[in-house]
Amino acid sequence: MNFGELVRKSRLKAQSEDRKYSLRKTAVRVGIQPSYLSKIEREELPPPGEEVICKLSEDLGLDTDVMLAMAGKVSTELLEVIRSRPELFAKLLRELKSAPDHAVLKLVREVRDGEW
Amino acid sequence: MITLERQQLVIRFPEIHPHAEARISFQRTLRIPDDGRDYPLPPGMGEFPLHHIEDYPKKLPAKWAQHGGVFMPMYQSEALWLSFGTGNHDYPIALQIAAGKINAVNAEPWQEDMQFEPQGYVVTNQQPWLDGFCIEKGKIRQFVAAPLGEGVTVEEQITGEAEFGGIQIKAWPLKADVYEEMLLNRPSFHGEYGLDMVMACMCEESAPMDMGLGMGGSMKQEVYDDEFRPKDWDTNVSSRCYVHLLNSISYAQVTGHLPPRQPYEAADYAAAGLPWFDYYSDQASIDGSEVLKNLKTWKDFQGEKKEQSVNIEPKTVIHLEGKSGTGRPVSQGDHF
Repeated sequence: MNFGELVRKSRLKAQSEDRKYSLRKTAVRVGIQPSYLSKIEREELPPPGEEVICKLSEDLGLDTDVMLAMAGKVSTELLEVIRSRPELFAKLLRELKSAPDHAVLKLVREVRDGEW
Repeated sequence: MITLERQQLVIRFPEIHPHAEARISFQRTLRIPDDGRDYPLPPGMGEFPLHHIEDYPKKLPAKWAQHGGVFMPMYQSEALWLSFGTGNHDYPIALQIAAGKINAVNAEPWQEDMQFEPQGYVVTNQQPWLDGFCIEKGKIRQFVAAPLGEGVTVEEQITGEAEFGGIQIKAWPLKADVYEEMLLNRPSFHGEYGLDMVMACMCEESAPMDMGLGMGGSMKQEVYDDEFRPKDWDTNVSSRCYVHLLNSISYAQVTGHLPPRQPYEAADYAAAGLPWFDYYSDQASIDGSEVLKNLKTWKDFQGEKKEQSVNIEPKTVIHLEGKSGTGRPVSQGDHF
């Protein structure tokens, strides 16, 4: 599934339960023209910028990182993380690119449980 | 495993199933009046910030480091609600929620095993949120922060001691084969029913930064019956987390960050005509706890300081339906 298709399917599913997810109302909430949203959904225009993608994902209850990735973008936040220690994170990402999900998850910092 | 991601506790059981995930956020909200009326659901006014305990080892009480987990700031008498999510899938996760190691659903002392009778947990894909202690069928008393040691918290009223405070959470996943069977029997289930929902030296155990939860006003809210059987749950695996409540007065000195703004007053919110919420689901709900019902509320401890009677009339109540995909709105709290 590509970006526009995901937006359209998610919006139509939400609209089937709540009319506020019409093309026009959704576009107004996100701060863009309905015609622009329509063209994004139909892939007549490339995905919008990061700010609009973030608003769209929040409005439709979708994962922002996934939406940005589908649009071929990386969030400013993640870019700053990488730029702060480029060598380290480049090496880390290359090491992990083929690792299974459970192995990657083991690297994520866990909330420590103690004695209580 | 439990991780902290964007102010949410994310609980995953990748060893059981890749979809086994629950998300918990702690929402700031209005403290509803304790005036004998049953109020509808107040809104979310933004998430409480969460921090790893070990990031501030010298600025927090030693016992907090022993407990592990996370902490968040709360003002005295501030209210909160817990929002439950299921990530991108709808994998049922059972959550035992306790305050001061007293179960908020059935008033039993904290237990490491699942309590099926009386039910001592909520199920994430059935229960979108929990606003307080379950005192009877369809009714809860709002979670309200109180300093430990003043006898106000539910923990102190039941045990007579101010030992733990905070919020404790333990999670168990549904068995993977039960989940897979559920997907087969309910083909539209997959992804369709998401309920989208102060100084470095203050490290002594008696430091006044430690908060617990007492009971506030009454609110209409169901705590739903578990629709699965006890044998459907994978009780061999679990994850748990201790959420400490730091008095907001101490927050800046501990973290160096500005504390959240003072909570809004319910009267101001109602006067602005902003919406309250009601939630309907046709699921059966549990009876609640007589023990909790008979405890004193925050107002009972105020004595001479009793809050003045204010006329709060929720004019707009938005009705939300279960499994509609329409969650209870959460704002950053700066819109009125």
